[in-house]
Amino acid sequence: MDVIEVAGLGKTYPGGTEALKDVSFRVAKGEVFCLLGRNGAGKTTLLRVLATQLRPTAGRATVFGQEVVGGAKAIRQRIAVLPQEARPQMMLSAFDHVRLMCLIRGMSRADAARRTEQVLRQFDLWEHKDKLCADLSGGLRQRVLLCMALIADPDLLFLDEPTIGLDPMGRRQVWAAVRRLTETGVTVLLTTHYMDEAEKLANRLAIIEKGRLTFLGTVDEAKAKAGVGMRLIVEAPGGNGNSREVLHPSSNEEILRVVERAIREGLKVTFQPPSLEEAFIHIVGGSIDDEAS
Amino acid sequence: MTRLREAWYIGLWDSLPLLRDPMILILLSLVSFLPVFFLFIFMGAEQALPALVGAVVLSLAFVGMGVAQSVYFNKHWFRFQDVLVASPVSPLSYAFGLALSTLIAASPALALSFVILLLSKPVGLLAFLAVIAVSLLMWLAMVFIGYVIGLTTKNTRRANSIPQVLGFLLGFLPPVYYPLSMLPGFLQPVAMLVPSTHAAQLAKYYFGMIPLSSAEILIGWAYMAGFVALMAALTLRKARWVDP
Repeated sequence: MDVIEVAGLGKTYPGGTEALKDVSFRVAKGEVFCLLGRNGAGKTTLLRVLATQLRPTAGRATVFGQEVVGGAKAIRQRIAVLPQEARPQMMLSAFDHVRLMCLIRGMSRADAARRTEQVLRQFDLWEHKDKLCADLSGGLRQRVLLCMALIADPDLLFLDEPTIGLDPMGRRQVWAAVRRLTETGVTVLLTTHYMDEAEKLANRLAIIEKGRLTFLGTVDEAKAKAGVGMRLIVEAPGGNGNSREVLHPSSNEEILRVVERAIREGLKVTFQPPSLEEAFIHIVGGSIDDEAS
Repeated sequence: MTRLREAWYIGLWDSLPLLRDPMILILLSLVSFLPVFFLFIFMGAEQALPALVGAVVLSLAFVGMGVAQSVYFNKHWFRFQDVLVASPVSPLSYAFGLALSTLIAASPALALSFVILLLSKPVGLLAFLAVIAVSLLMWLAMVFIGYVIGLTTKNTRRANSIPQVLGFLLGFLPPVYYPLSMLPGFLQPVAMLVPSTHAAQLAKYYFGMIPLSSAEILIGWAYMAGFVALMAALTLRKARWVDP
């Protein structure tokens, strides 16, 4: 059974803003599903509806087979959320945050202490455990918040831009944690602005633009849909970039011809694989063009 | 029991930062007790003692209204409410926990003021319990007002300023620190519309500082209870666990 099933989902806020329109998709168990989109596209609204924090106004959404409105109580037993722009309490330590969250979620004092140590060690926060959050860097604070979400051993984890503000090492730690979780069958739904993050983590992704689903599929499918292929950059060795030639070969034979020419003429060839960012810009840009025409 | 435990730890989550910052606790205590100090200096102990009773009632009211900031900041700043909505935690535990946190934060100042008051003016256990009850009713009313402010405010500055302005209107203007009889006759019925007037009158009565008739006592309790019920209804109308 799919963990998440969304059919014709819509959300219009009380003020009249239509944030989601006819969104449909499914997420399987153990999948990392990324929601991509520009600011205000509707990613967070969609995540909040699925995390039972916001009521939908049209369509249907189920999580673990339960309706997000009628079955919220059952869903909440099995999920955890790291909200966008969440902040820790500056006068509480990393240890306080995680331990209090364990206690709030019903663990005994002994279990809470054990689980807190386990999670803080997993995210290299143990050495900072007694520091107040006011004295931690932005990246470490973000990790504290992530630890708070992970203490519950959720079956489905919602991460709303989880690596924002993290340094490259911190981001990789989060990615590693997400991968470890999915290996144990946890499903992860995350929103991100970082295309490399989606590329590294997502089994499948959805691109949302102005509340509508404009793409649903794998990273490779996104690149294929956008027609983004391998790029070859041919230039003189040690050149200043003025004589740079960017080629878009359409076949292996064409690539071979370019490489042979480069060898013959002593040129440097750089292979630039297609990026998700280009595909994203093509897809989102396309949807804007569609709307304009 | 589970829900009480949840509420206790949510209260601790919200109040621990305050408890770790003694300056804030001192400030919280000073706000309501400062007028008592000036009354003591300029008017003597005779006038300061009734004001001290008023200060005890008001210190609870002030911290009760502080829930507005907790509600606002936990929803819009820390996003802690969103974290808890997507968990098995009950909304009632959350609401009760935030209210409890105001009591936890106020407890050092309250304990000290009650000790001073009882040493200066010893009363029987029943009278003492009645003062506690009227203080708690006042606190509860202010907690509900705080909830309404916190739930309806979407602006950080207002979340800070509205409770302070209301605290001034409900605390310093009505006859809490000074006797009701000092107000001009035409203003006395207006003052009786303010719940803190009733709370202070009842507390002063139970400490044997002013006389009240049975009817006045009954009206005082009924008014306090009615005001709490009204504010509770308003809070229930505004409160949202899941956003609409």
